[in-house]
Amino acid sequence: MEIVYVLINLVIFLALAPLFEGMVRKVTARVQSRMGPPLIQPYYDIIKLLGKENLTAGNVIFNFAPMMAFAAALSVVCFIPLGYKANFLTQYADVITIIYLLVLGGVAILLGALASKNTFAMVGASREMVTMIMVEPVLAMTFFVGAVKVKSLSIDSTVFSVMNNGFTWSAALMMVLYLMALQAFVGKQPFDIAEAEQEILEGPFVEYSGPNYALFKYSLMLKRMFYAALFVMVFVPFLHSGIYALDILLQLIGVAFVFLFIALIGSTNPRLRIDQAIRYYAVLIVMSLGAVGLSVYGI
Amino acid sequence: MNLLEKVRKTIKEKYSGSVLGDESPMNTRLFIDIKPEKVREISNEIIDLGGRYLVGIGHDNIQRDGNIGMIHSFGFDNDDFIVLLRTAVPGDNPVLDSITPDIPGAGWSEREFMDLLGMTFTGHPKPKRLILADDWPEGIYPMRKEVPYNLVPPAAEDVAYQLDECPEGCSIIPVGPFHTALHEPEHFAVYVDGETIKGCDYRGFMTHRGIEKLCETEVSYNEIPFIAERICGICGSVHATAYAQAVEMAGDIKVPVRADYIRTLMLEIERLHSHLLWLGVAGHLIGFDTVFMQAWRIREHIMWLSERITGNRKTYGMVIVGGVRRDITPDIRADILKVINDVEKDLMVVHKSIIGDSAIHKRTKGVGYLSRESAIKWSLVGPVARARGIDIDVRRDHPYAAYRDVNFDVPVTDTCDVWGTLLVRLLEIYESNKIIRQVLDKMPDGPILTELDEVIPALNYGISVVEAPRGESVHFVITGEENRPDRWRVRAPTYPNLQGIPEMLLNDQFADFPIIVGSIDPCFSCTDRVEVVNIKSGSKGILSKSELEEISRRNK
Repeated sequence: MEIVYVLINLVIFLALAPLFEGMVRKVTARVQSRMGPPLIQPYYDIIKLLGKENLTAGNVIFNFAPMMAFAAALSVVCFIPLGYKANFLTQYADVITIIYLLVLGGVAILLGALASKNTFAMVGASREMVTMIMVEPVLAMTFFVGAVKVKSLSIDSTVFSVMNNGFTWSAALMMVLYLMALQAFVGKQPFDIAEAEQEILEGPFVEYSGPNYALFKYSLMLKRMFYAALFVMVFVPFLHSGIYALDILLQLIGVAFVFLFIALIGSTNPRLRIDQAIRYYAVLIVMSLGAVGLSVYGI
Repeated sequence: MNLLEKVRKTIKEKYSGSVLGDESPMNTRLFIDIKPEKVREISNEIIDLGGRYLVGIGHDNIQRDGNIGMIHSFGFDNDDFIVLLRTAVPGDNPVLDSITPDIPGAGWSEREFMDLLGMTFTGHPKPKRLILADDWPEGIYPMRKEVPYNLVPPAAEDVAYQLDECPEGCSIIPVGPFHTALHEPEHFAVYVDGETIKGCDYRGFMTHRGIEKLCETEVSYNEIPFIAERICGICGSVHATAYAQAVEMAGDIKVPVRADYIRTLMLEIERLHSHLLWLGVAGHLIGFDTVFMQAWRIREHIMWLSERITGNRKTYGMVIVGGVRRDITPDIRADILKVINDVEKDLMVVHKSIIGDSAIHKRTKGVGYLSRESAIKWSLVGPVARARGIDIDVRRDHPYAAYRDVNFDVPVTDTCDVWGTLLVRLLEIYESNKIIRQVLDKMPDGPILTELDEVIPALNYGISVVEAPRGESVHFVITGEENRPDRWRVRAPTYPNLQGIPEMLLNDQFADFPIIVGSIDPCFSCTDRVEVVNIKSGSKGILSKSELEEISRRNK
């Protein structure tokens, strides 16, 4: 029966990720004095793309990459303890697995970009790679701050470290850093550098269309929702009520607020250049190392 | 002795053997006829005396005296006059010294007439094709009088852009002909080392349709303003006004004062909409779509206003030779004032938030750096020059229409980067509002049009400069016999500014490419002088979608 909770995870993420995307678009439109598309526009987008002809660049990797990205995003979703409840699979993985799977999604984008042999995709791929290398450590440190506290790398105890042990200074610092890195995690302005429509025409995805592109889009939406949900699970534990269905609902409301934050930051900032972004990421990494250091001393 | 006399005297004394004559039909224009051998020395002399290179004009005079004429024009901005250096070379051997090695801003003007008139400029540093397509056959020079305006030579297969060699260790990022950052078809080959730009070559004029040729062969004086207006979808009034003023100067036509005021009004309304449009595009180019949407929301009120004044959102159709076509009624006057006030209020909010936004500073300060000296060297114009500490503005320096009667400031900064151009344009919007209020206050009653009753005498010269939102537009006219110009030359502001782009891009990041190119507010079509005119048998009809598709398929 435990396997049901994995399915619930999958269904909720697959069903709601486009909705949150639609929310971001609506909020952005409001900030820009526009009506904006309907809330469910991203569903239409995906359905439309899935129904189109699949143009390929003529090699296997080009078609394989979107599936890999989608599979990686789905796998991440399976492992996380949604509704503050560890599911059947959670015990078989640890936080390293999560980080690994997230990187795998990034690698899939790189593979697809390189396989498309487009100059703009290459530029996008190199930017994506730099972003991945500089941002993933911040995610890793988020887990490690919790892991040091509970002396375990297992997913549930790490994620629920704050819930079980309360806020420490290091956890509070980590929360701020997580919010500062959030736009980079989800690839929104000012850190949508790898896609940068006006410079490199969506970068890695420039050659993608139809169902292949739909898979990339969908996996990006799942990834964004994961990062938002992770923030709620790790840093907003007071939404925990003990009733599973209510917990999920509360958590989703929390996720909605995180997306509101993403939309507001995204619509009030221009895109940074990659060299400016690297300097920003470097500061984040150093400070998150500091947070781990603090947590070692139990602060 | 004023500077004009000094220039005349200096040239005549120093190069007495080479000067054939001079005339000064009005105290703001000086024509000097010289022998072709000394063109380079005399051009340099004029630059040393304080001239700024405007544009070169080549014209085919073979049927009259067997010569091809080349005119170099120079503006003296502090003393309000323009010097035109007229020279001619034999039509069967049109070879002239290039002035580009000393005056880089002349590079395109000379290349243009290599393509269009078959001239040769000895010593030109980059004698490559500029305007003609790469598959245009050798030996056909479209601006020569014997070539029909509707000549369509057969297209060739397998032609490629003749681009510069890529520097060693660099790779090429092709931008265009179709690219989100461009909005119009042009090709930039950007040479990058990693993401740092090490060079760039440009291939443009892809939408060149030869309207100068068309207007010299097919239409009449007072039809051209409407074609001129369609040179640019953003600053059309500028071209119509500049053309009309050039003809009025050549034909000595007096324009009613009220018409001058209405022209000024339309030019400033156009500047308002153009600067707001640019602000939006600039926001979009640095990935800041909120600036884009808000700037265009404000701009929309100006578009509606234009529609109420002229019947059109753009391409007003107001200006013709001799005056304007529509009057400003008291109702419209009140309307204009209301819109101007609202726009100013809205703009202040946007202005404040842009000035205080450190992220915008990060993306624009120090980006697209070009020193003041280089900007002078390339004869850059408009906000691009004013952001580099060059205090020029045609409205003040060579006043036309009603600009003599209004007070306004010319904002100048010396940051030499994209931020400077942003700031200059923002401040100019307030100045435009100021001008519009004064124009409405001071506008006298009276007629708005002088009818063209008398024939405009042939072979008179007229040159007029008008400050477009993106810089100075130059229109040059030689009157002709058949109620149409014998030569009409347009130089849009993007023409000089685009030549400075490679130096602005140097050592910047590729991510800054869109905003650097955007900072000159490029109007490629103006440079190309695009025009799609159907003049078949004078019949006018609207093509349906399927008919358009049919035509495009048939001509493929």
